[in-house]
Amino acid sequence: MIDFPFLADTMLKLLAALPTTLSIFFCSLVLGLALSIGIVSLRVSRWWFFSYPARFYIMLFRGTPLLIQMFLIYYGLGQFPAIRDSFAWVVLRSPYGCAVVSLALCTAGYTAEIIRGGLLSVPQGQIEAGKAIGMSPWELLYRIIAPVTLRQALPAYSTEAILLVKSTALASLVTVWDVTGVAQQIIQRTYRTMEVFICAALIYLVLNYLVVRAVAWLEYRLSPHLRERPADVVKKSSPTLPTHS
Amino acid sequence: MNLLQLLSFGDSGWGMALLKATGMTVILTLAALLVGAVFGSLVAAAKLSRRRSLRGLGNLYSILFRGIPELLVIYLFYFGGASVVTAVGHWFGGEGYIDVPPFLVGALAVGLISGSYQAEVYRGAFIAVSRGELEAGMAIGMSRAMRFKRILVPQILRYALPGLGNVWQMSLKDSALISVIGLVELMRASQVAAGSTRQYFTFYIIGGALYLILTGLSGRLFHMAEARVRRTRQRSPV
Amino acid sequence: MSIQSASALSVTNIQKSFGSAHVLKGIDLDAHKGDVISILGASGSGKSTFLRCINLLETPDQGIIRVNGEVIEMKQHVDGRQTPSNNRQVERMRSSLGMVFQSFNLWSHMTVLQNVIEGPMRVLKRPRAECIEEAEALLHKVGLYERRDYYPAHLSGGQQQRVAIARALAMNPQVMLFDEPTSALDPELVGEVLRVMRSLAEEGRTMLVVTHEMGFARHVSNRVVFMHGGLIDAQGTPTELFEGLPTERFRQFVSSHNDRSAE
Repeated sequence: MIDFPFLADTMLKLLAALPTTLSIFFCSLVLGLALSIGIVSLRVSRWWFFSYPARFYIMLFRGTPLLIQMFLIYYGLGQFPAIRDSFAWVVLRSPYGCAVVSLALCTAGYTAEIIRGGLLSVPQGQIEAGKAIGMSPWELLYRIIAPVTLRQALPAYSTEAILLVKSTALASLVTVWDVTGVAQQIIQRTYRTMEVFICAALIYLVLNYLVVRAVAWLEYRLSPHLRERPADVVKKSSPTLPTHS
Repeated sequence: MNLLQLLSFGDSGWGMALLKATGMTVILTLAALLVGAVFGSLVAAAKLSRRRSLRGLGNLYSILFRGIPELLVIYLFYFGGASVVTAVGHWFGGEGYIDVPPFLVGALAVGLISGSYQAEVYRGAFIAVSRGELEAGMAIGMSRAMRFKRILVPQILRYALPGLGNVWQMSLKDSALISVIGLVELMRASQVAAGSTRQYFTFYIIGGALYLILTGLSGRLFHMAEARVRRTRQRSPV
Repeated sequence: MSIQSASALSVTNIQKSFGSAHVLKGIDLDAHKGDVISILGASGSGKSTFLRCINLLETPDQGIIRVNGEVIEMKQHVDGRQTPSNNRQVERMRSSLGMVFQSFNLWSHMTVLQNVIEGPMRVLKRPRAECIEEAEALLHKVGLYERRDYYPAHLSGGQQQRVAIARALAMNPQVMLFDEPTSALDPELVGEVLRVMRSLAEEGRTMLVVTHEMGFARHVSNRVVFMHGGLIDAQGTPTELFEGLPTERFRQFVSSHNDRSAE
């Protein structure tokens, strides 16, 4: 009943496209993360001159579909001679480059909000304690704000990373041959929808699982203070204070 | 042709088409949300059930529809659905290839996906409902059905409102993907307008702006609804 | 035990375990019409669990519950436990037993008035106009008529508890069960609730009150039951208990309470 040769053949074809999907994912992840740090720095600034553009950016990229952003960059930007003549054209000329840029810009918007959420959750008391012992603003950032923010934002970020994995599939709509693109091609040629779907879905599910495990590992490494007390530490009785005798 | 002419509501203008397409986007998202509400409640109930098999099924649903790219789900229902319908048609003696209406496919696909997110919202809302208020219902002699209808459901809806607002925005943006199977909603209309006038930048910006208006308005409406609900829970009186 | 007053509530050999913890080890209690019984005891003595067994918010593993002469039907299981066999009977019993909770448990999505008419209207199926009329009278009685359109979140703890009492009274119950009604209140709000409870006692209501309020136990109730370790350690009239101090444990309990109030 089950056509194993077809399944195997499909799986091989899809796996051949996996490197494309993976590279799109990693490039846009890294670029998006870097960009988001810049955006969130502007967003939390005291001066509206900096925070309003950042707020606009975030609203823009979270309020419109990724697809239209991608089409805008791929089809729209190529219309302008100014862009065609610039150095950016090297990247924006290729579908791959457009897909990565678009995904990076989009995920940067969402990630900025996630980081902002983490920043807002840093207990004011811990910052004050740092100030009280004379920490400089940079030290405060490195030693107190960033670590707490990171631990708070990681769970939310794993969700965003999963969304990014799924979003790479849209690259197929700007003629990039990623897993989804190849899958769609096979379906249209053979009409064996269910089998192809299962193979492609499996690949993405495994990818997601790996992402979740990776973030969970990171969370584990970064939060020893939240784990259970190790079993070998013996509870010592409290030392007696010296008495006034 | 300048911008104003392009957007006019006359024969050569795309204004009307874009507006109609925006309406289609809203209707499509509404349909999807309803589908999602049905499946979401079922999955939430399954996840909260005492039987491990039901919990497993609920979790499976979530993993599948939150982990598989929306595009693949749409392809599955579109091409797969067409295959099924065509096979059934042939069985009845029909010929050729039978298509499935893209609206149905779209509402179903986006609906099932939004259902997995709605399940989390309903589940969280259920857990948030005060056990004490349910006990007060028991103590007064309310039957299980009555406690469900008079206490559980109103409270779940109130707690679920913020989450549902997010799901609505998400589905609004997911609806743009239905353009790939030909349904003329906002994304497709922008695409067609852009392609036929070669004014890609213009029309994708306009399409984006229209989406922005939709998400912005929705956000505002949900905020107002949440504020109204919150008023009944705040310290200061009516 | 007077022969004239009928038995409103009678429980025999109530036992309850949570896992390996045997919380109730066999409680017998008879409440006659007009009795105001205070149930005292340290935390962990099982007094709240006992009260909650009466209206089956907890199901006693063993024991018979008789409300107004009618026994709640139970079916026995192989492991020795029992569960109610007639859910409709349980619902009917519950509607004739009013309960006031420690955390008030007013329905937060309904106004004060809606809270009070909900039971009579939906469970007793009485006409809406009639329910509203009665509810308004009850709210007058507890002193909250002016706030009938407020939501619970807009009221203080003492006000919420008084509404909860009105809500329970609206069902016209045979017996009122109070589960530590003032324990969650700020000290200055306790008085207003105790005043309402006192007036109910003076009207002749049958009340079972789990409480820490010694004053109420001593001056308002006509019987006091002291529980310890899942059993009744001492019971009798307030005079018998507070002046007689019949058992060592009760003596310790009273003295530790006096110490605390002296702080």
